[in-house]
Amino acid sequence: MKHPSEEILALHAGGDLGVLARWRVERHLARCERCREEIAAFQSVREIVPDLKEIPEIPWARLSADMKANIRLGLAAGECVRNDQIPATPSPLFNGARAVVAIASVVTLMVTGLVLEHPAPNPTVARQQGIVVQKMARGIQVWEDGRALELKHAVSDEREVFYSVGAQGSMRARYVDPESGYVTINNVYAE
Amino acid sequence: MRNSYWLPALGIFGAAALFAQETALDPQSSVKINLASDSPLALLSANLGESRATARGAALVLDLHMGLTLRNTSNKHVRGVTLRVVTQEVTLGGKASVAVPSLDVRAGDAFPVRIDLQLMRPTQAANGPLVQVDLDGVLFDDLSFYGPNRLNSQRSLTAWELEAQRDRQYFKSILAAGGPAALQNEVLQSLARQQERPRLDVRVSRGRSVTSAAISAEHTAQFAFLKFPDAPVEPIEGWAQIVGNEAHAPRIEVKNTSPKPVRYVEIGWIVQDQKGRQYMAASLPASDPGLYLPPGQTGRVLQDTALKFSQNGEPVKVQSMAGFVSQVEFADGKVWVPNRQNLQNAMLLRVLAPSAEEQRLFDIYRKKGINALVEELKKF
Repeated sequence: MKHPSEEILALHAGGDLGVLARWRVERHLARCERCREEIAAFQSVREIVPDLKEIPEIPWARLSADMKANIRLGLAAGECVRNDQIPATPSPLFNGARAVVAIASVVTLMVTGLVLEHPAPNPTVARQQGIVVQKMARGIQVWEDGRALELKHAVSDEREVFYSVGAQGSMRARYVDPESGYVTINNVYAE
Repeated sequence: MRNSYWLPALGIFGAAALFAQETALDPQSSVKINLASDSPLALLSANLGESRATARGAALVLDLHMGLTLRNTSNKHVRGVTLRVVTQEVTLGGKASVAVPSLDVRAGDAFPVRIDLQLMRPTQAANGPLVQVDLDGVLFDDLSFYGPNRLNSQRSLTAWELEAQRDRQYFKSILAAGGPAALQNEVLQSLARQQERPRLDVRVSRGRSVTSAAISAEHTAQFAFLKFPDAPVEPIEGWAQIVGNEAHAPRIEVKNTSPKPVRYVEIGWIVQDQKGRQYMAASLPASDPGLYLPPGQTGRVLQDTALKFSQNGEPVKVQSMAGFVSQVEFADGKVWVPNRQNLQNAMLLRVLAPSAEEQRLFDIYRKKGINALVEELKKF
């Protein structure tokens, strides 16, 4: 069975796929537990994303401005080198393409900036505060206030990993290490 | 002319590189491995070959891949090891450990332990070793223990070893009664059950949980109990608060029915959804580290956490709950775990994962066949 890529699954988890692509993925999910688990993991990550925007240390506006400045710098550098290396005869086709690339880059940046500054509100989801323990795509994680510690496991087939939860705030992932053959139990604790 | 297409793209990549600068980590400064001078394990080698730090915006993501090789310097067989992973300021309330149970490492022999972890922290965090790895405990074949036991490794490793002894004995009895064919049949039945076992994603949070008004009103749900005749502790009654697919503040009253004082009780927690499907949700340990339950006395097992249940990204709403005693530690350090007869209950067979030893034995069967499994059982 051919599985959709991680990128496609991530987009599907966020409801960002087009109609046809979404239909294809849903057909696949109906018969693939592994991909359903991947989707679930992506969705659990998405639930904490609204919290990330509140991290005071991330100056999105400044970073966005830095990116724009670097792109302008790159474009200017390209122009300098082009003037040195390319004959003076201009190509109308090339000039148009360059302009399209530059405009598309700036538009992409602006859209990205807007999305980062104004993420879609999600009023129906319960928002967790404090310290959270959760399963991720390839491991288990303890997360608090934008800081995270994740123990990853070395098994590609999720059906061979057994997860268990301690109601006091802990999680275990148990698997057989494919190299040593030893059972390995990863634990994260929110205590 | 093609260069001109590349150069603007280079500008974009250059900017993107600001957000994803990757550097190799220096093993000496990023990881510290602490083994006490009287430790029964010696560090033979520590390989941090592929560890990396990646800047993503204002956060730093550190991927640490540690391959440790430890040697048993004691004169006993090592049955299990727990390594504590401490990350300094990275997660203020969090910590981690890697345990390797079901071992049989003879005196002088070496064995590997792999630790793969990822840390995310603000870039302006303080310097110093990123990760410290300490030995939390070692369990020997006579069930004696060495270590600081900060993570209660003695209890965990002892319980895993008792389960391993129990399960090896069970499979050996099947082998003795029916030969390799009977053993193979038992293994296949268990593997088939594992394929069918419903899996539940559980997210646990400590601290305040803010729920929206859209979620239905909270109600109190009561536990039903599965009782084992030989359990030293009997669950009497218990409740949890339920809001949609979230349960919080579980509490269970238990009575010590044994002649010995008890210092730890753990209850297995099964939930049933609105379609009647049952899942192993969590284990509910006693919250009080100073718990002391004399014979005949009652006490409470409770936790101030919230558990959110989902499956394949869809919320799983809790319809009813059941519990059973899954582990008890007496004041003298002895540990009780359910026996195989207890686990033959139809509901437990459906929802429980195999023990660590079963997982190891079945892995041998799948990779090497029934004869290898028979040989492995003969070693013990």
